[in-house]
Amino acid sequence: MSEIRIGVYVCWCGTNIAKMVDVEKVADEIAALQNVVIAKNYKYMCSDPGQDLIIQDIKEHNLNRIVVAACSPRIHELTFRKALENAGLNSYMFEMANIREQDSWVHTDRTDATKKAKSLIAAAVNRVRFHEALDKRTVDINPASMVIGGGIAGLTAALEIADSGKKVYLLEKTGQLGGHVAKIDLCYPYFQSAAQFVKPLISKVLKHPQIEVFFNAAVPEIHGYVGNFNAKVKVGSEEHELVFGNIIVATGLKTFNPSVIKEYGYGALPDVVTSLEFEQSLKNGQILTKAGKEPKNVVIIHCVGSRNEKYHHYCSRTCCMTALKYSNQIKSILPDSNVYQLYADMRAFGKGCEELYAETSRKNIVFMMFDQRGDLPVVSKAGTQDKCEMLVNFHELLSSTDVEVPADMVILMVGTEAHENAKEIARAVGISMCGNEFYIEKHPKLDPVATTTDGVYIVGGCQSPKDIPDSVSQAKAAAARILATICKGKVEVEVTTAVVNEDVCCGCQTCVKVCPYTAISYIEDRNVSYVNEVLCKGCGTCGSACPSGAIRCRHFTDVQILSQIEGLMEMVLIEDE
Amino acid sequence: MSFNPKIVAFLCNWCSYTGADLAGTSRMKYAPNIRIIRVMCSGRVEPTFIMKSFREGADGVIILGCHPGDCHYHEGNYKCLRRYHLLKKYFKQMGLEDGRLRLEWISASEGKQFAELVDEFTHQITELGPCRIKNTVETFA
Repeated sequence: MSEIRIGVYVCWCGTNIAKMVDVEKVADEIAALQNVVIAKNYKYMCSDPGQDLIIQDIKEHNLNRIVVAACSPRIHELTFRKALENAGLNSYMFEMANIREQDSWVHTDRTDATKKAKSLIAAAVNRVRFHEALDKRTVDINPASMVIGGGIAGLTAALEIADSGKKVYLLEKTGQLGGHVAKIDLCYPYFQSAAQFVKPLISKVLKHPQIEVFFNAAVPEIHGYVGNFNAKVKVGSEEHELVFGNIIVATGLKTFNPSVIKEYGYGALPDVVTSLEFEQSLKNGQILTKAGKEPKNVVIIHCVGSRNEKYHHYCSRTCCMTALKYSNQIKSILPDSNVYQLYADMRAFGKGCEELYAETSRKNIVFMMFDQRGDLPVVSKAGTQDKCEMLVNFHELLSSTDVEVPADMVILMVGTEAHENAKEIARAVGISMCGNEFYIEKHPKLDPVATTTDGVYIVGGCQSPKDIPDSVSQAKAAAARILATICKGKVEVEVTTAVVNEDVCCGCQTCVKVCPYTAISYIEDRNVSYVNEVLCKGCGTCGSACPSGAIRCRHFTDVQILSQIEGLMEMVLIEDE
Repeated sequence: MSFNPKIVAFLCNWCSYTGADLAGTSRMKYAPNIRIIRVMCSGRVEPTFIMKSFREGADGVIILGCHPGDCHYHEGNYKCLRRYHLLKKYFKQMGLEDGRLRLEWISASEGKQFAELVDEFTHQITELGPCRIKNTVETFA
């Protein structure tokens, strides 16, 4: 084996790391470790000059192992692996030490954080000594795609892919396409009719020769990996077996059920309606109370279930502007009515939205602010002497007075939340959810439609509350990503699979039993186990189960992890002495 | 000098490591004693790794995986759980206190729970005091 020559790079990440970790001291001390040829620190390792630094040093100093101490490997491991490749080094001769997310950002003492950085880097240096070159493996991409969810995002994605001549299987859990957008009358901020663009979209999808729609489809059981997924889709008693290369999850979201907020009287008072119910009456072209009368006073309550610690702390994003849209529509249908907007905070970001707010506020509409953290407005039935059906009582924040507003109709701007089956879908496709049960993207800024599972993309409301333009943009982005992989025809897959050393294997078949992917089979005539690398996903369970130590989990081998532990503790102990 | 425990942690890539990253992204603060080793799945964690950590001077070891039912590899966390219980049976015989090893579930969204758990476990190990198995092994070696 040739001499091990390691280059170590400690990133400042601007001040993100440097302010809590003494990067210069760390680099100096790491330079003294065995096999470390050079140890440098640099402002932004992930930048082009940062990567060039590595590439140049590899060539100049004949380095054959690289350690970068920076952010989480979940963010930039691939970036640096690419840099190694560009320098002609196998990309697996690389290890990252996470000194930002798991060090500088979570500790408050510079000495402690610096100590920790040193031991994490020493562990990485120790580990990388035992890294071995792994050959890239590519698999063919099945050009068909599966889109789950037939709302605006799913429809757009399906059409985008199908228009290029590639097959799309579109799964919809209900009996119709269009999702929430199909239930909307006019869209903010320009008052276009939603039906005008969603109806043609639906009919295009239904007629498209490359799109197969499965209505009333259950959450499918999906197996396989990027490029080669297969699924059983159940529609009633029928079962369809599909094969495809990529998946777009476009399952959207649902509206919050306001009956849990007792103050608003939803369900108890007939003229307290949700925004979605009000939308339906707008579609029907008339605004009437349950008694069939035109309401004189309409109260619109914002942030129902949103931005409230008791329900959902996030902003549902579309409700403020929808509420403004309602004010305009109410004023144009019932010019003599009084419209009251009870808001917690007016959020009007996005193209045309602030303009809509400014314009609406000139239309004789009363805007009043309530404290979302204090007592919520209380909707109650009016007395016989009152000239209205209901009364809304609350503390107005800006004037700091208790206010009573008359109401014949109360519209609750309900927030949005993840579907009940969000978890089931996440498990089916193998993606993670954040605390609010929205799906987690691969990178919040640089890769917002991909997920950590290759070949699975998330678009629209299932990732977080979104308006129509953003959902459509994401759908098109994911479609473009998928078409790019289909164009290439092949995709690189993980090569960190398990492998059996047949000389050591005793044929006990423990590994066969523990493998969750039936990737290991027993070869009777040789009395050994064999790993099918295409099926193996590299979890390493077989490696820990093997009693004779015959299974090697590539890139997570025993010796790599054990030496990493040694490195971790070595540095800690030296520090203590 | 007050006792500053050394803690080695094995975190699965998909849930717990992501959760630990989230604690960082959210700028939560926790005790600096923990040193994290990333594995693809908690099912990869061999008893050898744990014993090696103690052998090298760790005072506590914690394994974190996906919640039951949420394993990226379907059931690696269950395999880990079985091994954990088995290893714990031997702990007493080896003169190790039960509390030095722990297995917990942390999802990708549980940054806060992760930070709290690290503090709690660090406190637990501080209470237990230094682990002497390293010296014992060296005496008999």
